[in-house]
Amino acid sequence: MSPWLIGDLILLGAALPAALWICARGDAVDRLVGLEMGGVVTSLALLAFSEGVGEPGYLIVPLLTAVLSCIGTLVFTRLLAPRP
Amino acid sequence: MNGAWHAVAVSVFLTGAVLVAVSALAALRMRRAVDRLHLLAPMTTLGVPLVAIGLVIDRGWSLPSAEICLTCVLLAVTGPVMSSAAARVASAREGSIPQEEPE
Repeated sequence: MSPWLIGDLILLGAALPAALWICARGDAVDRLVGLEMGGVVTSLALLAFSEGVGEPGYLIVPLLTAVLSCIGTLVFTRLLAPRP
Repeated sequence: MNGAWHAVAVSVFLTGAVLVAVSALAALRMRRAVDRLHLLAPMTTLGVPLVAIGLVIDRGWSLPSAEICLTCVLLAVTGPVMSSAAARVASAREGSIPQEEPE
């Protein structure tokens, strides 16, 4: 197993379950933090996976994940903000 | 790519991956959303660049390296923006700050 896939395994085995756990518990803002964390971890895991399998063409996926994760989080902050 | 540079690249990459994993696991111990957001900062501003630097050192200057850099710059720049937006919502819901829109 290449070191890139080992790093991928660390991210997918430790960081992503932690983010999903935070996403699944607590109130809406707690879940939003978990979602934000999950987006970052997923992008990094996909970068490492692309390097691990030697397919540079897969790099577009983490790029789009990073963009969509940011937009999604900002939309959720707008929806969760209390009305004055 | 000689063996020494490959070892450096792998070390930097694995340091970043472990840092991200430790930050995520440490966030589990925090109770408040704002405290958890503090742990998102090392993830985006330290873990992400380390992973990117490791990948770019190993691959050398190429188009995929530029794509990796773009992804990581995007993550590092948008991370604090998302964190501050989430922290503002958390504080507004707790009543710590007024709820009107910023000027």
